[in-house]
Amino acid sequence: MTTTITEPAGATAERGIRFTDDRRPPARPRAGRAGRAVGSIAIGFGLLVAIVLQLLPFYITVTTALKPRSDLSSQWVLPGDEWYWQNFTTAVDRGHILGAIGNSALVTLVSTLLVCALGALAAYPLARRTSVTNRLVMVGIVGLIMVPPLSILVPLYTMMNQLQAVNTYWGTILVMVATQLPLAIFLYASFMRGLPLSIEEAAAVDGASPVQILFRVVFPMLKPVTATVVILTSVAVWNEYALSVYLMRSPDMRTIAPAIGTFFASSGSDLGAAAAASLMSVVPVLAVYLVLQRYFIKGMVAGAEK
Amino acid sequence: MTATSSLTLPQRRRGSRSSASPRFARRSLNLFYVPALAVLALFTIWPLLNGIVLSFTNWNGYSPGRSFIGLENYGRLFADPIFHTALFNTFIYGFGSTLIQQVVGLALALALDRAMRGRNVARAIIYLPVLVSPVVMGTMYYLFFSYNSGGLNDLVVALGGERTAWLSDSNTAIALIVLVNSLQFVGISMVIYLAGLQSIPVMYYEAARLDGAGALQQFMNVTVPLLQPAFATSIVLNLIGGLKLFDVIQVLTGGGPGYSTNSVSTLISTAYFDNQTAGYASAMGVALFILIAVFTLFANTMLNRKRLELQ
Amino acid sequence: MKSTLPGLAAVAVLAVALTGCSAGDDGGTTIEVQTNLGATDPILEVLAEVTEAYTDDHPDIEIDLVPATDTYEADMKVRLASGDVPDIWATHGWSLLRYSEFLEPLNDQPWAKNFNPALAPAMENAEGEFFALPLDTDVAGIVYNRAVLDAAGIDPASLTDWAKFDAALKTLADAGVTPIASSGKDSWFAGNIPDFMGSGGFTDEEFQGFLDGEFQADGYASLLDEVAKWQAAGYFNPDYSSATTDDLGRALAEGKTGFIMVQNYIVGTALGFDPDAELGYFPIPSDAGSPFLVGGEGRAYGVSRTSEHKQEALDYLAFLAEPENLSQLASAIGGIPGLTDATSDLGVLQASYDEFVAPGDVPLLPYFDRVYLPNGIWDTMVSTTDSIITGQADVPTAVDQMTTSFDSLHGQE
Repeated sequence: MTTTITEPAGATAERGIRFTDDRRPPARPRAGRAGRAVGSIAIGFGLLVAIVLQLLPFYITVTTALKPRSDLSSQWVLPGDEWYWQNFTTAVDRGHILGAIGNSALVTLVSTLLVCALGALAAYPLARRTSVTNRLVMVGIVGLIMVPPLSILVPLYTMMNQLQAVNTYWGTILVMVATQLPLAIFLYASFMRGLPLSIEEAAAVDGASPVQILFRVVFPMLKPVTATVVILTSVAVWNEYALSVYLMRSPDMRTIAPAIGTFFASSGSDLGAAAAASLMSVVPVLAVYLVLQRYFIKGMVAGAEK
Repeated sequence: MTATSSLTLPQRRRGSRSSASPRFARRSLNLFYVPALAVLALFTIWPLLNGIVLSFTNWNGYSPGRSFIGLENYGRLFADPIFHTALFNTFIYGFGSTLIQQVVGLALALALDRAMRGRNVARAIIYLPVLVSPVVMGTMYYLFFSYNSGGLNDLVVALGGERTAWLSDSNTAIALIVLVNSLQFVGISMVIYLAGLQSIPVMYYEAARLDGAGALQQFMNVTVPLLQPAFATSIVLNLIGGLKLFDVIQVLTGGGPGYSTNSVSTLISTAYFDNQTAGYASAMGVALFILIAVFTLFANTMLNRKRLELQ
Repeated sequence: MKSTLPGLAAVAVLAVALTGCSAGDDGGTTIEVQTNLGATDPILEVLAEVTEAYTDDHPDIEIDLVPATDTYEADMKVRLASGDVPDIWATHGWSLLRYSEFLEPLNDQPWAKNFNPALAPAMENAEGEFFALPLDTDVAGIVYNRAVLDAAGIDPASLTDWAKFDAALKTLADAGVTPIASSGKDSWFAGNIPDFMGSGGFTDEEFQGFLDGEFQADGYASLLDEVAKWQAAGYFNPDYSSATTDDLGRALAEGKTGFIMVQNYIVGTALGFDPDAELGYFPIPSDAGSPFLVGGEGRAYGVSRTSEHKQEALDYLAFLAEPENLSQLASAIGGIPGLTDATSDLGVLQASYDEFVAPGDVPLLPYFDRVYLPNGIWDTMVSTTDSIITGQADVPTAVDQMTTSFDSLHGQE
């Protein structure tokens, strides 16, 4: 498969890798077994450091969540005799964490489905019809990837309020779709440009309409890029804070990131409960990710047989 | 070809008919993007334009009254040392994080591309922080960096050092913000590079080996050129994320000490809600948008200078 | 199959549309009360208790007590800007200056005759209207731990000017106690220092100058010079940047800190760590005049002018204003009640109240920023003080930033 080539004037494109280059440096002796072992140990050590670093914040949070506020032992130490579950009950009772997880699940699921559907639909003409209009539309959409959420917050919220969309699932979902669509359209369009035209042309010669081509020929080929879009979109929506905190105002409608935010309120911040809530918010995403992990990296590669 | 093809803006190709659309791509096809454009127009473009209008007013952010003051807010941007600090920090957050993420992300991808036990577990752990909301991540690290009860200071003391106020010094705080942001999102770069590595056909390496290329030469002559699209995607995504950085700063330092760790995003929020200068905040928002667009396009153009076509 | 996606999405949207309409349309009246209390704040529990008694009597009314995030002020501004106004909300000291255009005047309410006159300067406008039910009266000075000062041989009542205060700081430092503590993490804390000092820290001409729209840079610089002096001497708590209100409350209770310049809620926090801690407050020293206390509107709730349930909301406020309810709320806060027919248990602060407030010889001055500075400058005050305490900026730089902010906000008004 190919990616599109764009060559600025004057640039010479390298054409692949030429293996018959006479100016190739002479072959060096391969590293011996000992050298390889040292290399493996170094790589293993580096990986270990990275893994410890990535797990560290979670570990600290676990120890914090399992101790009462009066416990002043080090964050490195797990509570020895008895684990303190009160922080979790506080998070559930007062922070509506379970309800928030439910809200986030619903918003994330529907937003992701819509982003995939609208994104794939929108990308097809942009990938296959290269008119001036479509180029401009594409440039505009790529530009929207770069819009910082904060710069649209107040005008957006004012409009949502006029539409009576604040505190509704549909309102929040549409905003989330709008924030995630540009990247999705972009990914789909890039991917479609990489698909060989011949298949679609053959279908057209057989008399298929563009709609039939799109649904029967193109869509089935989009699985890999769809996996990518699903992961990127769902994680982004699940964790969205800056806009959700305003769109879902009442405690029973809050999504997960703003719900945790309430624990840092200006009075009586309760770090143990916040740590507990933080952990609970990670569990569902983690579970979904572990299920999807097998397809995830595979999904980001189109037809590469290793 | 990887699904994570690089950010290439459509542009005229020299020497080809510019609108050489395939025969089956009729005009009516464009109807397919109408629903998506409608959603974007209503929920992104319209508020964005409204924000631009606001940037020419002296609105305080909540009262009904506002009046137009022309370019005054933009003039203030040029004269405001606090904004300049935030701008400088935004570059550090954007480029610093992007650099660390590429180096570490690629190294991890190379290490975890090899067949080994526990490979999937290791990948999952490296990617894990990406799944966590930055607000939550910032909170976790805040616990770790705090002066009295923080795990980092316990470690320093155990090793015979002095307790340190990590977030009181602006340089240290900026470095920690870059580090936290980089560590949290390094998983994205890793996955993009893993996808890129897996899309390189093994036969190229075999051919290179037959030609007697060592590991380093294989890396330089096969891996790097063929990862071009992955480089572009990863760099551009990280750059946009880094230049927009907001949540982590809010939780870790709130922009302090003083104003020294603000990014443009956190300064916008301060100007909007705390200082009641919504008009000025909108002007910063417009400036930030332009800034991100310019840098992204620049990075993109640089990265797409040399693209490979493999058939 | 990919091609089923659009269909799936449509079904999902339909399901949402059928099940998830906006919250709270169940026939009865729902009144939204936007508190400024965190989800785990003990005061919220007491408020919920009182509210439950109300809803038991009024089964057709539902009161929705909304906990706040730590960005309460910003949240409120966004809601006001977009017309999404709660029926009742917490005015956190700003019922007159920021919110009065959105709030219903309450001076003709049945309980208004009991309005605590000490609150009039802060809460009433020129027409004698006030806009919120005051649960308590805010009276603040410098909070201290009695045991710590006794051990160091310091009598707080004798600290009448800054030179004496500086000497006391040095005594505490020599005794191995953190002399003065503040928080850089909780982003309002540091601003209290110049704000408390400023209420009685200027001459009458300077005060008039502020009102005329001229920032008094020299006078303000002298306040920050004092703070810079403490910073240079290492008097501030070393965990300043990461310390939260909780951390400071703990340090105060444990006798690790001498002085904190903040409102008395820190006392409640400290008692959470040690119920027997002996705490008090004393008047703020002054070089320009005599020592003074600061204060004004404490915790207060106002009713939206545009509320669809204005009558019900006013009725609920009137219920809160009943003496036993208001006494319960004021006691939970640990403050002097906002209405004269309520009483409250001041607990550990009773001694300070009896010594400095009850006799009435110590002036109770309004907060400096609320009277003399433009609305919106508070955050700049906090950040500039923060930069002095952390040694990240010098006084002239901080004063320049304050001047710029002052001028631009004044231009906006």
